[in-house]
Amino acid sequence: MKVQAIITMILVIGIVWGGLTFFLIKAMKYEKLKRSLNNDTEE
Amino acid sequence: MKQQEFFSSRWTLIIATIGIAVGTGNIWRFSRIVAQNGGGSFLIPWVVFLLIWSVPLIISEFALGKLVRKGPVGSIATTAGKKFGWMGAYIVFVSTAIMFYYSVVTGWCLRYFFSALSGSLFEVNDHLSYWNNFAAGYEPLAFHIVSMLIIASVVVNGVTKGIERVTRFLVPALLIILLILFFKAVTLPGSWEGIKYFFSPDLDIIMDYKVWLQALTQNAWDTGAGWGLIMAYAIYMRKNEDISLNAALIGFGNNSISILAGITIFSTVFALSSIDAIEAISQSGPANTGLTFIYLPVLFSKISSSGALNTFFASIFFIALFFAALTSLISMVELSTRTLIDFGLKRSRALVIVALVGIICGIPSAIDVNFLVNQDWVWGIGLILSGAFISFAILRFGVNKFRTEVINGSGSDVRIGKWYNFVIGILIPLQVLILIIWWLVSSVGWDPEWWNPFHTENAGTVIFQWAVVLSSLILLNRKIVNLTLKDK
Repeated sequence: MKVQAIITMILVIGIVWGGLTFFLIKAMKYEKLKRSLNNDTEE
Repeated sequence: MKQQEFFSSRWTLIIATIGIAVGTGNIWRFSRIVAQNGGGSFLIPWVVFLLIWSVPLIISEFALGKLVRKGPVGSIATTAGKKFGWMGAYIVFVSTAIMFYYSVVTGWCLRYFFSALSGSLFEVNDHLSYWNNFAAGYEPLAFHIVSMLIIASVVVNGVTKGIERVTRFLVPALLIILLILFFKAVTLPGSWEGIKYFFSPDLDIIMDYKVWLQALTQNAWDTGAGWGLIMAYAIYMRKNEDISLNAALIGFGNNSISILAGITIFSTVFALSSIDAIEAISQSGPANTGLTFIYLPVLFSKISSSGALNTFFASIFFIALFFAALTSLISMVELSTRTLIDFGLKRSRALVIVALVGIICGIPSAIDVNFLVNQDWVWGIGLILSGAFISFAILRFGVNKFRTEVINGSGSDVRIGKWYNFVIGILIPLQVLILIIWWLVSSVGWDPEWWNPFHTENAGTVIFQWAVVLSSLILLNRKIVNLTLKDK
């Protein structure tokens, strides 16, 4: 496999799948935070 | 009318919206366009346009729906002004026109699933004749009607009990099937050649402006950004729901699935094809069906020495395609239904009208593939104009005010910076202008009678049909807007 192909693969998969993972983790974190805040308010 | 129904959680909203974005375009069109545009050379601009077209437009649609709590007519008329309500009506019209033939395509996928399951798909030698016989018969019409009835039975139950419940099953099922096919494909001997081609850039091709335009077009057609569909689902977002992070998840999630499908198709074709693999993936065939309905069935018969395994893989491929089409079609039917609900109709009555009109107006596409190709051509480009109208509405409202008060308003997890103003104010209108001019000028080159409105794919048919629809909607503007905003 040529170097350019490896670089493209890392770039494309890194940005797209990496981006998805990054935003997913962030969303899970905020969702957890919102739930704990809601629970605190209810208590 | 007070909003009473909401998606039950952030995750069900995201799953349903991923269902809009992931359609047959991710599995079917994406691989063909990558092969026609030099593999890895295409992927780089495709990622760039995810960032400067898809994600900003998904953010905008979410924000408009959440702000106004009405479909595109009400959203555009409220933000841009009542005299521009016709722009919202145009967005609805384009997605509805696509719904008419997309239901036919959904029916094809269902029919091929049954063919694969029964094994009849592997009993033929000439798959092109098999397809031609199928397309010329009554079956496309019957399966189109079945598809519309399935969708109607989902949408009639509303968002929580209908759309949410069904997409919560279909989207994860689609993902699991794609993962099974992915692992099978990448473990086939010779699949590595396909993966290498998929990611290999050609520096000469990457400088070609046409590759960039194709990458933009693919993003415009594939993510569902600018169709008004996300706006229709955003009406049912909870009050404290985030916009930007959810929009990013949908854009990146959609393109992630495209990569998964692309690697699967390239690996399979390179491993099993007896003709030139690039030629096999690039071939269009009637209504661009070449790869999916004519060539892949040949490859599925070679995937292993076991007939049962081949049947299994072919069946799950076509059911995945059917699920992908179904979840997108649900949103198209919901958009039209919601527009009629905004006019004051009850959901059940609105849905009966949409389903009946959908069945009737889909008949020409079901019985004549050329009509389907014409509609795909005219309204596919029409979608780009829909994106421009969304951008225009936000500019009229005040892009900075929209960003700070609506997008970054209550419930937002992350703040969107000033880059959004630049993208919506300058980049999106510029991309729309370039794309429409390019598509129309290109079509002049391939059809000497470019002005003839009765040709299948040329500039004349686009200009003629757009002119009829736009002038009718502008004439009816006051009536449409008054009906939609009568409770405001």
